[in-house]
Amino acid sequence: MTAPEKNAKTTPKPTRFLLFLGCAIPYRVSSYEISTRKVLQQLGIELVEMPEYNCCGLPIDPVNHSMTLTLAARNLCLAEQQGLSIIALCPGCAGTLRKVNKKLKENKELKEEINGYLKATGLEFKGTIEAKHVLQLLVEDVGLEKIKASVKTPLTRLKVSEHAGCHVTRPADSVDFENPEDPQALKDLVEATGAEYVEYVDKLACCGAPIAGVNDRIPLQLTKEKLTHIRNAGAHAMVTVCPFCHMMFDTNQPRIERLFNETLRIPVLHYPQLLGLAMGFSPEELALKALRVDATQIVSRISGKEDAS
Amino acid sequence: MTEEKPRIGVFVCHCGLNIAGVIDVKDLTDYARSLPDVFFAKDNRYTCADPGQDEIRKAIKENKLNRVVVAACSPRMHEPTFRKTCAEADLNPFFFEMANIREFSSWCHPSTPEEATEKAKEIVRMAVAKARLLQPLKEIEVPVTNKALVIGGGIAGINSALDLAEMGFKVYLLEKTESIGGHMAQLDKTFPTLDCSICIEGPKMVDVGRHSNIEIISYADLISVSGYVGNFKVKIKKKPRYIIADNCTGCGECRDVCPIEYPNEWDVNMGVRKAISVPFEQAVPLVYSINLDHCIECYKCVDSCGARQAINFDQEPEEIELDVGAIIVATGFDIYMPYDDPLYGYGKYDNVITALEFERLILAAGPTGGKVIRASDGKKPHSVAFIQCVGSRNLKKYEYCSGFCCMYALKNAILLKEKYKEDVEVYVLYMDMRTPFKGYEEFYRRARDLGVTFIRGRASHIIEDSQTKNLNIRAEDMTLGQPIELPAEMVVLCTAAVPKTDAGDLARILSISRDANGFFMESHPKLKPIDTPVDGIFVAGACQAPKDIPYSVSQGSGAAARAATILSKDKWKIEPIVAEVTPELCRNTRVKCGICADRCPYGSIEAIENQPAKVVTAMCHGCGTCVAECPADAIIQKHFTDEQIFAQIEEALKKNPEGKILGLLCNWCCYAGADLAGTSRFEYPPLIRPIRVMCSGRVDRDFVLEAFRRGAGMVMIGACHLPYDCHYISGNLRMKARMDALAPMLEKLGLSPHRFRVEYVSAAEGLKYAELMKEMAEKLDELGPEKIKAENAKLKPILDRMLAKKRPQKAQSSK
Ligand SMILES: Cc1cc2nc3c(=O)[nH]c(=O)nc-3n(C[C@H](O)[C@H](O)[C@H](O)COP(=O)(O)OP(=O)(O)OC[C@H]3O[C@@H](n4cnc5c(N)ncnc54)[C@H](O)[C@@H]3O)c2cc1C
Ligand code: SF4
Ligand code: SF4
Repeated sequence: MTAPEKNAKTTPKPTRFLLFLGCAIPYRVSSYEISTRKVLQQLGIELVEMPEYNCCGLPIDPVNHSMTLTLAARNLCLAEQQGLSIIALCPGCAGTLRKVNKKLKENKELKEEINGYLKATGLEFKGTIEAKHVLQLLVEDVGLEKIKASVKTPLTRLKVSEHAGCHVTRPADSVDFENPEDPQALKDLVEATGAEYVEYVDKLACCGAPIAGVNDRIPLQLTKEKLTHIRNAGAHAMVTVCPFCHMMFDTNQPRIERLFNETLRIPVLHYPQLLGLAMGFSPEELALKALRVDATQIVSRISGKEDAS
Repeated sequence: MTEEKPRIGVFVCHCGLNIAGVIDVKDLTDYARSLPDVFFAKDNRYTCADPGQDEIRKAIKENKLNRVVVAACSPRMHEPTFRKTCAEADLNPFFFEMANIREFSSWCHPSTPEEATEKAKEIVRMAVAKARLLQPLKEIEVPVTNKALVIGGGIAGINSALDLAEMGFKVYLLEKTESIGGHMAQLDKTFPTLDCSICIEGPKMVDVGRHSNIEIISYADLISVSGYVGNFKVKIKKKPRYIIADNCTGCGECRDVCPIEYPNEWDVNMGVRKAISVPFEQAVPLVYSINLDHCIECYKCVDSCGARQAINFDQEPEEIELDVGAIIVATGFDIYMPYDDPLYGYGKYDNVITALEFERLILAAGPTGGKVIRASDGKKPHSVAFIQCVGSRNLKKYEYCSGFCCMYALKNAILLKEKYKEDVEVYVLYMDMRTPFKGYEEFYRRARDLGVTFIRGRASHIIEDSQTKNLNIRAEDMTLGQPIELPAEMVVLCTAAVPKTDAGDLARILSISRDANGFFMESHPKLKPIDTPVDGIFVAGACQAPKDIPYSVSQGSGAAARAATILSKDKWKIEPIVAEVTPELCRNTRVKCGICADRCPYGSIEAIENQPAKVVTAMCHGCGTCVAECPADAIIQKHFTDEQIFAQIEEALKKNPEGKILGLLCNWCCYAGADLAGTSRFEYPPLIRPIRVMCSGRVDRDFVLEAFRRGAGMVMIGACHLPYDCHYISGNLRMKARMDALAPMLEKLGLSPHRFRVEYVSAAEGLKYAELMKEMAEKLDELGPEKIKAENAKLKPILDRMLAKKRPQKAQSSK
């Protein structure tokens, strides 16, 4: 079996992981992927490609639960074959893989059922690896100390808010990471860059994305409220760790401004972009240009060249 | 011990037609007479009536009977009656045995009289076999120290102490803090009549302080308790106050000169007290203390105390020992401090407070002189919202209802409204408004009439406006079916009442148990709500579960009355059906064993290394668990010995064993359930041959093995429901652990799984018992005698070997 993984808890932490990209990131928010690769490399994490992965399983769950289990299990099996744990950038993918991994490890009957479906592919779920979100990797495997040490230019002039999103912590018993009602990880990570962390009203409220397919106005209204709170709290920027949250706050921001006749202009960075700036990467290396809301202001603020804002 | 040969008399009762209508009583009596050692047998119309009892007394005398068997109703009904009858004829009452042929035969097998008679014969034969081996027992008496210890000086403990003292008993009232009074002394008014709390409790506290029979031991901790009912030895450690109590007049001159102030915990840290002070003016005893953590040792107090010389900076902790006969535990509760709840912002938002803090705010003698003001700006709030069930009724926190928070929220809402009228909006966000008991629902109406707004729904979270420090409550209004936002200038969290942090330590010291929520457990939830499983220790007040003042006071008085049943006697009688270690057989002298001590639900066995284990008789409740657990068979339970039970098994299975179910039923649940099946006239197949044990914990593995060795078709152990129904705390759990290990072994040896059963039947489940009997009979039928015989034949040599050690001394009893 996979000795290095098994001992992960006691012996030196693993530094090689399989990168699970999921569906949304490669097509719509590649800047998240690009910046993540940069900072993880800097932190000594080696990402191994996973070309033959399939859908994480989440989208089909309301229709066919066994299908979700089987799809997720197949991804887990591929990782087992390589003896590496999975890192996902999308919290939906991470959450689904974690949940299914846990369920199949704990429930022998379910495992047998799913392995029955997997038989045709020649795969068998054994339960030898872990799956986690990049946020969890950063706080648990890399550690805040190491991240702080990697910071070259602390972002002390920057006030930053965040939206961690729902799947990173929920459902709490299967994701098994943080208290969803009082999450700390992203806050700690923002502070690790030297930036000033800004609390705001309704930080834990929904970004709106889950309703986006059903109704247009309500989700945008939710996003607008959050952005307004963030602006009122005095943040210069905010960070996310989820492609869908990001699309709500960044991609849709101009639309929100038009729809509600408001000026928001809040740059929304993927967390690795923020960390990357603190590590000294250039805006180009971190694909800051790909953001819909212009982030040059905060770049100048960091470098002390900002004009009055 | 009598070694004379048994001369047994059997008395068969007609019970009118209750028995004789089904069973052939003449035939049964003749049969009884034919049994070895039976010298006399007779039938009566009503054995329990005077003439019937007379006949027994007469027969004992005339026929020199030394054992008596009555074949009639359940021993749960008339065993005490006939024991007395024997005693009246100078026969030791434990030479009596009962054969239950009414509940167990005539009433439950009316349509098969022949089989009923046959079953009755076997039940009588089993009883005679046990009678043959009976030993005389003497009731055990222990002396009683006529003094009591009450632990905890809240309103419950105060009432216990006063009642006992009034009855004339000496009472030690142990209080952990500097003063008695408990939570009640901290409250403003009390529902539902709004009397001032300290005004009604204060006089009682003074009475306690003055009573010649009460000695308050305050600012002290319980260290250890040993002994047993009537004879407890208690060790207490008094913390130093640095004041000589006898010299302190309580004048307070020292406090006036002391320059140091620190937060007053008694005031929920909202007010301050001096480094030398009392926590509150009405403290009893009114003795000052110095807090050395804050004292700067300027000795101004020493000067001001002057000639009274009450201050002694060298005071040391003092240990005292007391002898008491009964103990009442009245240690109350704590309130949940919701710092760990990120959603309500307690500890983070200035104007979110707990209800206890609110009590101190609105109290005229409190730190703000009765002004309700906000911590953020010292201003009076124009809107106050009470949030109910904070921590309570929450599966992630405390599952239970804290009972009194609905009522005190109403109280505080009313007080606010009466004080500030239109100038304050009051909201109560609740899940259910719980207002049972006298005058409570009317109190609820009063709040509504005063214009308090009640919103049904749980608050999801609270947001603070960083500028105004006002609060915005997010909640669901269930009546509107909508999420709402409620602005409030102050929020009061009605937090759960939780067990004292040191409740676990106290439970250990006293060997009493705690329930799943951590409160002290009563001996029986309905019939013994004040007793603990330890004889002589009682509970009162909120330490057993959240309780309001009237309820705590009643229970305090109740506990006093219960304690008095012991204290009022010179000697305390104990049923002699206890366990006893045969020292020569105990292996604790050779290897470290102590299994019995570990398994006894009452901690009544001492197993000191290299010495034989010893049962503290006065603490033993006679469940017999240790007897079954002892790997060396070194313990016997009087009146339920291995020999006696082996003899019953042998008789039960003499004829046609493969067609029978051998039952080992605990007295309190399954045996009672079986009785009820009879009383209810539920008919079932007459296959079971029941043996009564006091607790299923008594059921030795060997009983099961012996039954199968003798060819039983099925063996059933009938116990109280898990986990809490056991009359002996945890005997059923011990039995389960034992049988969980045995069952797979028997299956491995080829026993069909249905043939060995552990069933849980309560005293109320007569129907379940009858259904069980039917279902088991069907299974027995399905298996068929041939298969059973074959399985048994395969088992026999193995069981012979396993039981070889036991049989020569124990099962050879009958010829
Ligand atoms: C905010 C609030 C408002 C309330 N308002 C009302 C009301 O209006 N009307 C009403 O009927 N009820 C009210 N109650 C309930 C009331 O407080 C209780 O019913 C009552 O206090 C229970 O009394 P008790 O003696 O059982 O416990 P407590 O009052 O808790 O007293 C226990 C005593 O035991 C002592 N103690 C604890 N552990 C030890 C130990 N190990 N050794 C020695 N001593 C120990 C404690 O120091 C304390 O003195 C209210 C409760 C709260 C929280
Ligand atoms: S008394 Fe009322 S507020 Fe307290 S836990 Fe029970 S229901 Fe909730
Ligand atoms: S286990 Fe039961 S019988 Fe044995 S000493 Fe304890 S209470 Fe008595």
